[in-house]
This record gives sequence, structure tokens and C-alpha cells, in this order.
Amino acid sequence: MPTGAPPVSILDRAWALDERVALRPEPFGALAYHFGTRRLSFLKSPLLLATVRGLAEHATARDACLAAGVTKEKLGDYERALGTLAGSGMIAERTG
Amino acid sequence: MKLVEHFETGLDAPICLTWELTYACNLACVHCLSSSGRRDPRELSTAECKAVIDELSRMQVFYVNVGGGEPTVRRDFWELVDYAVAHDVGVKFSTNGSRITPEIAQRLAASDYVDVQISLDGATAAVNDAVRGSGSHTTALRAMGHLAQAGFEGFKLSVVVTRANVSQLDEFKAIADAHGAQLRLTRLRPSGRGADVWDELHPTAQQQQELYQWLLANGEDVLTGDSFFHLAAFGEALPGLGMCGAGRVVCLIDPIGDVYACPFAIHEEFLAGNVRQTGGFDAVWKTSSLFAELRGPQRDSTCSGCAHFDSCRGGCMAAKFFTGLPLEGPDPECVLGHGERLLAARGDSRLPRPRVDMSRRPRRPTGAKLAVVQAPAPPGHACEESPLAGLRGVEAR
Amino acid sequence: MRERITPAPVEAEPETSAAESSQPPVPETSLVAEEPLVEDELLVEDVSIDGMCGVY
Repeated sequence: MPTGAPPVSILDRAWALDERVALRPEPFGALAYHFGTRRLSFLKSPLLLATVRGLAEHATARDACLAAGVTKEKLGDYERALGTLAGSGMIAERTG
Repeated sequence: MKLVEHFETGLDAPICLTWELTYACNLACVHCLSSSGRRDPRELSTAECKAVIDELSRMQVFYVNVGGGEPTVRRDFWELVDYAVAHDVGVKFSTNGSRITPEIAQRLAASDYVDVQISLDGATAAVNDAVRGSGSHTTALRAMGHLAQAGFEGFKLSVVVTRANVSQLDEFKAIADAHGAQLRLTRLRPSGRGADVWDELHPTAQQQQELYQWLLANGEDVLTGDSFFHLAAFGEALPGLGMCGAGRVVCLIDPIGDVYACPFAIHEEFLAGNVRQTGGFDAVWKTSSLFAELRGPQRDSTCSGCAHFDSCRGGCMAAKFFTGLPLEGPDPECVLGHGERLLAARGDSRLPRPRVDMSRRPRRPTGAKLAVVQAPAPPGHACEESPLAGLRGVEAR
Repeated sequence: MRERITPAPVEAEPETSAAESSQPPVPETSLVAEEPLVEDELLVEDVSIDGMCGVY
């Protein structure tokens, strides 16, 4: 990456749920369990669940958020949430 | 809304649960929470076990902690593990290690969905074998060696913290590190045979404090099964949900299909139903009146005026029950000493005992104090299936 | 174990719909004022799979 180039936001990249993750809907959002890392994440929003489920079908995470019903004002929260999920390996960047 | 608030009202399915596959065991640990030893002839059949796994899979229970007794003595053990994995139910099984051969270790190392937990209660044979029987330290270490050799990284070394082994925490960590394993420290509860030895084996107030400090200082890679949430009253909470999960996010399925609120609460008082009933495990989890009560608003606690109640939440239900303390009062190991005071006042009245007791050696009458740590019973029972049947114990430490 | 001393003042039904603006029952013992919902809260929280008490 050339020096000085700003990092591309999570929202503008393509993602998908890691295939080793089990996603279990709950009234308040969802539980996500990664069989490889044995980590358990609690998704505290049904919109976040919808976003995560839609990630693979959209060109960018931003598209997935908006398609799920996330408003523009809340995109920052969702960017942070997706960042956490990426950090723990729950979602992975799609190549190609 | 806080995470804990979501979980306290229960979920449509457990997140994980403990499943004791058999009461049969080749050992006779003095503190066994399930009073194991002999096989119960009413054990769930292979087909019945698979039906339970089918349910757990549908309910999306993420993993089961398979235990017993010694689960590997069941002839269908590996078949059931494979079946669970094939149905997307992760398995962690707790074992004394007696059946972890190098070949088995290789198999296990190759699977992402199967985790192993080796039980050890003393870093040295002297401390360990006084609780778990002569030779059990050697057996456990041998199993760990096979797992390490097979490249199984991150299997669990699980220790029940007692008065005798609190001074060995660094050594346990070293043993775990040396084998590429993860150390797990859990709380001794006065459950099952644990009730007989609790008075002399549970950590002293001073030791509890040392344990807490040790966890704060060293506990980054150390698991606890959230079993020390009652110590949150000391200050900073330890990692975990910090609440009693019984009947809310976890439960126990026992070898005959009885469903209890948790493995430390094996007693009719905490019996929710049986998987053989119509509707199976799912129906018990969703409709049991016991679980509905546990998930509802809890009775007013006499501790609610205490500044620490919000962190300790009154401690462990099972610990209170089996020491004869009221459930709406302090934990017997309340860090402020409120439980100790209540215990002293209670005197020698009868303690609750479960009907279920598969111990090979008959237990002492309720209330009688244990003078020495007993040796495991000799072999000879038709239900024992281990090549190590006949393990002899050692007398008092 | 099975007797209730007093019923809770407000008994909210467990939510079955995916409503983001649910009103959860505030635990009587909570010492913290009700937090603003979602806006500044983390939407993802990690818990260890070993972080539930009642599994040995």
C-alpha cells in the first residue's frame, strides 16, 4: 500500500460470514459462535443480524447495512460493530 | 440493555450445556459432584442419545460438555461424539484421561469440533491422588502427553480449586503451558460427594482472596467457567457473564435423561423434567416450571442491601442449597463472611441429599464429618468397563 | 425454592418480535440508571464460550 493512501473503510469493502460460524437468531439480535476459535459474540441488534446475513450478497458492507434498514446516521455504529466482528474472525473479507 | 439482563430471562435454547453420559466411572474421586461410580441400568440408549443430539442440533446448542462419571467408558462414546460433530454440535468432553491413547489423541487433534478437558486436582501426585485416587495423576499426565505429542493445541486442563491445591496455581499453569494446554480453574461446590468433604476441602477465606488476586494477575489465558462470579465482590469482576446460568443459558442432562438446572444441582429440587417425556429435551427446556421460575424475577434477597450484591448476585444457588443455607441469603463463601456466620449459626441440622447416588462405596450419613480422605473402592462390579478398574486409593494426606 | 414472596412490579413479556425499541424490565437491584438504548452502546459484545456458570 503506498504511503499516504488512506485505509479503505470496512464499509466500502466486501465481507462474508466465516463458514465456521454458527449464527443463531435471538429476540434481541443474535448469538454467533465460531467453531474454530471457540469465541462467542452477542449481536445486540436485529438490524446487525440482518446486515451480517446479507454481507455475502452485497458488493460492500455499506450496501448490506442500508439494505438491512440501517439509517445513514447509524452507519458509524455498524462500522464499529463490523470491525469488532472482523477482529474476532467472525466475518472475513471476500476476495475477488 | 446489559448482556446479563438478556440472559437472565432465559433463551429459547441453551448456549451450551453439560451432558453426563454415564454414572459409571473407573475412579472414585472424593468430591464427585455427580456421585458417580456404578452404571445406572436406566441409562439412555445409543438411539436415545442420538435423538437428544438431533434436538440439540435443531436448537442450535453450540456445544455440549460431555462428562459423567467417565464418559469414555461407554462403548458408544466415539460413535456419539462423531454423531454430534456431524450434526454441528461441538463437543468438549471431560475425562480423567484413562482412555486417551496416542491413537485417540491423533484423532482428536485432527478435529476442530472436539475439545478435550483433562481433570487434575493436584500439581503433584501427593495432592492429586488424595482426592482422585492412586495413579490418577500419572494417568492424567500421560493423557496430556499424548495430546501434546499429537499436536492438539489448547486442550483444557481443568482443576477444582481446593484448600490443598491453592498453593499450586503456578505449577498448574506451568503444567498446562508445558503441554500447550489451557488451564481452567473451577470452584469446588458442596454437590454430590462434594458435600462430604466440603468443610475440609473448600478454600479458606484467606485462600479465596489469594485465588482472586492470582486470577487478576495471571488469568488472561486461564478459564474459570465463570465459577468464581461470587468473588466479584472483592472488586473488579472476573471475565464471564457474572451470573448463575442454571436453567437460563445452561443446564444438565444426566445419564438417565433427567434434566437438572445445572451439574452442581443434582437434586430433585432442581429437576426440570426428563428427555424421555413427550416433547423431549426441547419441551423440558421451554416449558419446565422450574426453569420458568429461575427465569422469572428472583425472590427478594436478604443481601439486597449490601453494596456488593449487584456484583455477586448472592452467589451460587447450589452452594447455598447443599450447605443448608437459604437461597435468598448469602453464598457460604461470601467474601464478606456473611455465609460463614450463617453456617456457624445453622449447627448440625440435616443437609439435603439427592436420591441419585451411584457411588461404589456407600457414603457416610449426613452431617458426619470426614476424618480421612477415603480410598476408591476395589473393582469387581460388572458395570465397570475400564482396564484401570481396580485403582487403589491412598489414605489421608 | 418454589414460593414467590412478591411478584415484580412490572412483568414485561419476553420479546418475540425483532423490535429494537423493547422495554426490558429493569432489575430491582440495579444501581445504574437506565442506559440510553443502542445509540452509544456497542452492538457487539464478546463472551467466552466458557463464560457461563453451570458447565463443569
